[in-house]
Amino acid sequence: MNTAQAGTLESMDCLVTVSEAASGTGVKIQITGSSAARFKSAMEKKVSEVIASMGVKDIEISIQDNGALDIVLGARVEAAVKRLMGGER
Amino acid sequence: MAKNALGREIPDFIEGYGKTKPFQGAFALKPEGYRAGGKIRCVNSTCTDKRVSDIKAAIAASGLKSGMTVSFHHHLRNGDYVVNMVIDACAEMGIKNLTLFPTALFGVHKKLIEHIKNGVITRIMGSVNGPIGQLVSEGGMDVPVVLRSHGGRPRAVASGDVHIDVAFIAAPTADKYGNICGTQGQSACGSLGYAFTDAQYADCVVAVTDNLQPYPVAPVSISQVYADIVVEVPSIGDPAGIVSGTTKVTRDPLRLLIAKYASELIEASPYFKDGISFQTGAGGIPLAVTAFMKEAMIKKGIKGSFGLGGITGYFVELLKEGLVERLMDVQSFDLEAVRSIGENPKHIEISADWYANPWNSGAAVNMLDVVILGATEVDVNFNANVNTEADGALLHGTGGHQDTAAGAKLTIIAQPLLRGRIPCVTDNVYSVTTPGEVVDAIVTEYGITINPKRKDLLDACSAVKGLPLVSMDELVSRAHKMSGPTDPVATEDRIIGVVEWRDGTVIDVVRQLKTK
Amino acid sequence: MRRTMLYLPGNNPNMLTRGYLFGPDGLILDLEDAVAMAEKDTARILVQHFLKQGEFGKCEVTVRINGVDTEYWKDDLAAVVPFPVLQGVRAPKVDDANTVKIIDEELSMIEDKHGIPVGRTKIFCLLETAKGIWNAYDIASASPRVAAIIPGGEDLTADLKTSRSSEGTELDWARRMLVFAARAAGVDPIDTVFPRVTDDAGLRKETEFIKQLGFEGKSVIHPNQIPIIHDVFNPTEKEIEKALKIVAAAKEAAERGQGAVSVDGRMVDIPVVKRAEHTLVKAGLLEVK
Repeated sequence: MNTAQAGTLESMDCLVTVSEAASGTGVKIQITGSSAARFKSAMEKKVSEVIASMGVKDIEISIQDNGALDIVLGARVEAAVKRLMGGER
Repeated sequence: MAKNALGREIPDFIEGYGKTKPFQGAFALKPEGYRAGGKIRCVNSTCTDKRVSDIKAAIAASGLKSGMTVSFHHHLRNGDYVVNMVIDACAEMGIKNLTLFPTALFGVHKKLIEHIKNGVITRIMGSVNGPIGQLVSEGGMDVPVVLRSHGGRPRAVASGDVHIDVAFIAAPTADKYGNICGTQGQSACGSLGYAFTDAQYADCVVAVTDNLQPYPVAPVSISQVYADIVVEVPSIGDPAGIVSGTTKVTRDPLRLLIAKYASELIEASPYFKDGISFQTGAGGIPLAVTAFMKEAMIKKGIKGSFGLGGITGYFVELLKEGLVERLMDVQSFDLEAVRSIGENPKHIEISADWYANPWNSGAAVNMLDVVILGATEVDVNFNANVNTEADGALLHGTGGHQDTAAGAKLTIIAQPLLRGRIPCVTDNVYSVTTPGEVVDAIVTEYGITINPKRKDLLDACSAVKGLPLVSMDELVSRAHKMSGPTDPVATEDRIIGVVEWRDGTVIDVVRQLKTK
Repeated sequence: MRRTMLYLPGNNPNMLTRGYLFGPDGLILDLEDAVAMAEKDTARILVQHFLKQGEFGKCEVTVRINGVDTEYWKDDLAAVVPFPVLQGVRAPKVDDANTVKIIDEELSMIEDKHGIPVGRTKIFCLLETAKGIWNAYDIASASPRVAAIIPGGEDLTADLKTSRSSEGTELDWARRMLVFAARAAGVDPIDTVFPRVTDDAGLRKETEFIKQLGFEGKSVIHPNQIPIIHDVFNPTEKEIEKALKIVAAAKEAAERGQGAVSVDGRMVDIPVVKRAEHTLVKAGLLEVK
């Protein structure tokens, strides 16, 4: 299965891993880490927005968070998806 | 169920705690009646040596039985061996159902978890943090923990809320008749301030030492009139965990920025003049505030009166340079502070009672001008939470937070607005430790936020050009914008923690976390 | 004012979020040396998100792009130039006027494509080779976009086949040359970074030296350096007092319709008033006109 990663585990960053998913399986988001207890909904919303804006329908996303704000989360998801689509690594 | 003065729902009765008195305001409750006391003792000249052979003999001689309350003090911090040693021995002796009444617990005490699980300890009155905090938060104890401040604890003892059956005192140096000294020996920790009330009020006092010296030792912190039993053990603690080396001012730019703003606030306040007194503790930001204040004091030729609380080498430097006249030390944090309290008569040891008890004839915090504190979160009403983490788990003891905030003329909470994504300013704190009525300002990397009730302070700061003043509305909306909406903490109904205000009223309760 | 221009590593969310809070005059979001080869793509996206939604306070915002000898620089420019918050790009390894022209043309193309007034994006040129220093005036005057020229530190030292000393002997001539070239071309001379981030005394000494040479400011690699550099560049209280007097006297004279005035028995003409105003701007007592 094709996967790609972007981001780091440094403070205020997150490591995003994305994997191709079969057509029709939808967007699956998994979030772990320091902000997950209180900000899961906000983070899921942001990730979904970025995915939708990139026109991706089926994907698995796993986020290891170390305090990323939405602005960073969005950038990391975008970068990971671009790497996946570009076939980098 | 009644609402206390902060609008928090407090049940009339809490299982394992008893009847509650709801918080009525920081200075509302006035005590009545007389102080409680320990058992009267009589020791004649037939006894000239209070030593017993080992820790189990000490426990046996103390009369400690299942169901009793044992107390400890935390001056050996993360190097402490005594708590684990005593509780291990109790377990082996078949003593169960103990109430643990420490002044604080540290990471090294996570070993107690096995004794909580096997029923040796069934109740904790004192801070729980790290793995023990997590265990309690998830419902690992049947009885709620009771969180008290450094001043609330001696108040509870003196007023009879808590009766100590046996107090174990970690004694860096002692003699055979129970005179105790904190400044000498391989486990020297300096001040023994938190142990005084326990020594005065317990039915039995056990001095545990690894440095037995000929009678009488000098100087003496806690004297022979309080100690009933002396026991020598190979070691009471690991020196590396007891005191840190040199306390250095942080070079972290974020902390320095916040510290600089806090220092500018102090300089702008009416208290920045000859005779200023302050407490800043050992944290990164507070210590840096001290460094900036020192610069400002030298520049403007101002000399302070005293430094209070936990003392670091940095404070000792201020004393030596004449920038403060006295240090009042309830806990010595580093080697330099331990050395100084042993040598310098201007550096005095004070008890927790003297330091912070609201119900005596006047605690040291009453004389304090400025205190710098931290907090997990502060809300729009300036209520502060230091007891739980953002996820709702018990994380910190109250320490001197409530007492210094209530006593100081200027109480500053200095804290980054964001720790990762988690903001320190919210609409409503998850749990209240210290009410907003005694918090004067919040300082973050975005500037200085003054409690609107301190219009005098706001005016003083507005008069100084270039001070970055930020209103609470601006600050909280910034936090919302950057962090997004928070999900509620998922909890059960059961109460696992009771947070007392320093006068013994209940300021808030903490509920069990829902297991995922 | 360009007393301090702080580098923020382009792949570091913490610094990109907080950099402006430390109060530098300018920020340099770095896509070049601070970013590993394998992360050029992610850093570029992160910097884009910050240019779109981030906060930068009152700072002048620039991005350091990768060199024109790399495969990245055009993508860098395409990614960052469209954002209105961007005021300029810092170009590394500018050796001659031609390098400036190449970047100028690319910028014009992108600006035109996005409906941005052509010429809006300034160029801050890093002169990191002996050749670059030698061509300093030509570079500074190669395009009206050039806002400043900056000597390299480590790279320049290496190109000179010497090493970096604490006294900065090896950079001495380059610094003087650069101030002359910049002033002759009417752009700002800005100094290189001071690499020893815990040596506060060394930083102060170097800053005093480069201020005396005529530099407008310094590149910064650690937030803790900012207050020290500002302290050196900020006018003293005596200078401020004198400047306030001159500006007040000039204003009063203007209101009375007089040209020249005298302050403390000395005639004050327009250049002196201008210098006094500049002092007050630096002291934060006067808005930039």
